[in-house]
Amino acid sequence: MIVTNTETVAGYEIVELKGMVQGNTVRAKHAGRDIAASLKNLVGGELKGYTELLTESRREAMQRMLAQAQQLGANAVVNVRFTTSAVTSGAAELYAYGTAVIVRPVQ
Amino acid sequence: MAGDGRIFLLKGRTRGAPVDELIFDLLFFLVPLIVCGLIIGRTVERRHLAGLTEREAANSHILITQLKSFPMVAALGPDPALVVAEVVIASDYLKTFLASWRKIFGGEVKSFSRLQTRAKREAVLRLIEQAKAGGFNAICNVRLDTVDIGGATSSGKFPMATILASGTAYCVGPSL
Repeated sequence: MIVTNTETVAGYEIVELKGMVQGNTVRAKHAGRDIAASLKNLVGGELKGYTELLTESRREAMQRMLAQAQQLGANAVVNVRFTTSAVTSGAAELYAYGTAVIVRPVQ
Repeated sequence: MAGDGRIFLLKGRTRGAPVDELIFDLLFFLVPLIVCGLIIGRTVERRHLAGLTEREAANSHILITQLKSFPMVAALGPDPALVVAEVVIASDYLKTFLASWRKIFGGEVKSFSRLQTRAKREAVLRLIEQAKAGGFNAICNVRLDTVDIGGATSSGKFPMATILASGTAYCVGPSL
């Protein structure tokens, strides 16, 4: 599966549009991470717990999106975008969406 | 919520408490935290900035654009692939304290500007490192988004820079 955030894929042409595919996930961070973050906020530096949380959420959302694309019989997803929203304090939504297409190498 | 706890404590003691106790609180809670931010926070920041400059210099041959097309795309090469990177960097207590002062007078909050810049540079570098690991030498359509983890609207939220960066990695070379 080719995944890009551009509208086209270099070296390929889009032969069929399959429609929009999407995947989302809402994840909460556990209290331990909050405590670690509050300590980190005194001295600065990367909040690895939150970075991991984001990475996990993004992987999950993308997996769901790709599963949909596979179901539609697509071999590529183009113009992938991510949006996030804070549903409630302590939980964040990550939403990935793109257009499922069938691409063919340019002769 | 260490910051909140401190504020609560101060408020609790000022109500009917002598002024010297307030000064005691200030000395024993606020000053160590600021000194902590001043020493450790500055060191962390300086090290991070030095690391960023070094890594950017090492990766200066990678073509980064935010064009939607694939400039100078190679005729042959691996299929383009999505690269995504996340960065969450915390502010330190000194920065937060300076910003709260700045909010009274208005103007640029330089400490937070620097924090945001660091997060963005780090995110782009992570994109580059991912692209390099995949055997690519260019990234197009780079997008930098901010992420709201756990509600910026909620009270007592710690200031932090959160960036979600994405791009499409490909190979540059003799064009098609």
